[in-house]
Amino acid sequence: MAPLKNLETEYPIIDSNFQNFCASHGIFSVEDFLIHDLYMLAAFAEQNVSSERLKEGITQILSIIDDMHQPWLNGMELLEDAKRNKHFLPTGIQGVDLLLGGGIRVGQLTELVGPSASGKTQVCLQTASNVARNYMMLYLDTGNSFSPQRIAYFLGKTNELASAQAKNQILQKVMSNILCHSVFDIFAMFDVLHQLESNLRCQERGGGCRIRLLIVDSISLLIAPVLGGTSTRGRALMASAGYLLKKLAHQHNLAVLVINHTVGSEGGTSKPALGDSWKSIPHSRLLLSCDRGSNVYNVSILKHPSMCLAVSTLRYLSRALFCIYLCPFYIRLLGRLQGLLFRTCPYRFAGDEKNIEKMELFHE
Amino acid sequence: MGSKAWLVEDESAREMLDRVLTERPFLLLPPLHRVPLRVGNIVEIVGPSPSAKTHILIQAAITCILPRQWKGVNYGGLGHLAMFLDLDCRFDISRFSDLLNHRIMEAANGSSSEVDCQIKESEAQNATTKPYNEELFASCMRRFLYIRCYDSSEFLATLKTLHYRLQKERETHGVNVHVLLIDSIGAFHWIDRGSSSFSLEGDTRKSLHLQSVTETVVQEIRKLLLVHPMLVMATKAAVLGNRYSMNDSKRNYRTWSAKDNLHSRNVTSSDQQVPYREYMPAVWQSLITHRILVRTTDADFVNGEHQNVSTYLSEWLLPPLNSVDKFIVRDVRKHSCFAVFKKKNQISTLSFSCI
Repeated sequence: MAPLKNLETEYPIIDSNFQNFCASHGIFSVEDFLIHDLYMLAAFAEQNVSSERLKEGITQILSIIDDMHQPWLNGMELLEDAKRNKHFLPTGIQGVDLLLGGGIRVGQLTELVGPSASGKTQVCLQTASNVARNYMMLYLDTGNSFSPQRIAYFLGKTNELASAQAKNQILQKVMSNILCHSVFDIFAMFDVLHQLESNLRCQERGGGCRIRLLIVDSISLLIAPVLGGTSTRGRALMASAGYLLKKLAHQHNLAVLVINHTVGSEGGTSKPALGDSWKSIPHSRLLLSCDRGSNVYNVSILKHPSMCLAVSTLRYLSRALFCIYLCPFYIRLLGRLQGLLFRTCPYRFAGDEKNIEKMELFHE
Repeated sequence: MGSKAWLVEDESAREMLDRVLTERPFLLLPPLHRVPLRVGNIVEIVGPSPSAKTHILIQAAITCILPRQWKGVNYGGLGHLAMFLDLDCRFDISRFSDLLNHRIMEAANGSSSEVDCQIKESEAQNATTKPYNEELFASCMRRFLYIRCYDSSEFLATLKTLHYRLQKERETHGVNVHVLLIDSIGAFHWIDRGSSSFSLEGDTRKSLHLQSVTETVVQEIRKLLLVHPMLVMATKAAVLGNRYSMNDSKRNYRTWSAKDNLHSRNVTSSDQQVPYREYMPAVWQSLITHRILVRTTDADFVNGEHQNVSTYLSEWLLPPLNSVDKFIVRDVRKHSCFAVFKKKNQISTLSFSCI
């Protein structure tokens, strides 16, 4: 925040007399004005010999403060911005896209929660491979889980009919559109995000900003180590990270997808690693889980800004079922029941229709 | 002569009541309908996330921006401006516009509570009444003013300049801002607490930490309400002390309050009575005139046809009414709305009855 003495060149009204007056009330910067009663200050200025000039100075400071907040918008302006910029980015997983009404939202922070091997990274990689066909994206990798082979595999599967040359072209394009960064602590993430913010600001001035997706896989691995104990600083870092992500998402029209793993809690059940104080940060929260026996994967909405759901961890109002097997993956939409449902079959069972029918019966 | 004229011109109690009721109407908005709310009140909506807190704010804003009557149709709104300070930065305008559209359609079709049998009907009418509603929709949306704040200094800067903004909006629209909505007040709590450790040069200088920020926020709102009477509604995310994390929260509570008392003494001593962990400084508590607790129910919801239904409980803590209301947020296609209100477990008779 600007110290008052640095403002003097720009605003001659903030002269040394004004600065001394402010200093006598413990004000040295514009930020200090924020926590002082300006009416009281004006009353003190009244008693001063050069009261007119001091009051002019206070008015000047007030107009500087007026530039410090985000612009006021009315509903129509907001709606216009939303219609122009805040569309859906399809994840490429049909069940998830149906569930979310088209995909993850640009301008919002979407969180995936789930125990290990519940398909979190799978959803991220698949979203990355789908979005990177058209846009640039940034993948922040905290646990070395980014795998170009898996992305290449998805691309191969979704373009099975294309010629080898076309396939190669798509692969080249997608791979060059994915920027992957390894970060191993929260401060490194702040560095990368601030760098990204300034890059995006420059690019937007040039008009050529094409980054549309930011994935943090997984944010809980960065935040969990700084939490704990009675220290409030860890929570402050967590909240700041959340605000930075939301600010990036809104101002630069990014969709942000973060992963939160689960930890065991007292009752023997599992709970999200980033718990109650993180809960109010993301826009939507999706819970992934896997039924080991049938290899059916569930995705449930725990929280969504446009779907009003009150769900405990035991029952889900809307859900999509899908199966993910470890590589190779093969995804097939079979039909929908009750909520939204889709399953994938393992590659080796691709032709085995009987097996698929059995699964369907099981769910009906 | 001047003073006499002033006395003669004075109104009767009945006229005054009529004037006050039109100029400063009550906001009887379910699920806050048990206590009539009016300008000057500061309501805090406490609840865990998610518990339809933002939804209540949105409905309050919609009631405020809808006109009372428009082209012969009664919309039951106030026709004033609504301001929304988004500190959580999670506001979704498309949901807001969906809900507004839904309210307009509902009123236009003269339906009151039977929402879902008429939803198909209203869809059919949608095509014919579209331009008619579009104009109303746009004028309502323009009465909704929105700002987002990413940190406390932006929030304070907004509050410091709100007086001028309110004057400007009154000039352009010709009506007052009736409600000021804050979602949610504790959003920067951890960041501000974290920054309290960086105290700089000398004792005279206040730093931007929790206590001084909250004090300034309270002071600014108080001063603002003197000149611009508004109904202030703020949500507060709270962690309920529930069964499985009881030990955990107790332990945390003790350490936190001990720490608080050391440097700022900002947690009230009557904490034990409230069913959630209080974290806002006492100066904020003293500002609040009304407080309602909302939470999700543990009871099973009716399955089958009511699949897109969420049930919540609301309970007034200030004034303390010994009754728990159940309210339902129904997801009608994309529209969610308050639909059914059941009285449950009403213990005392209400002293604050609605007119």
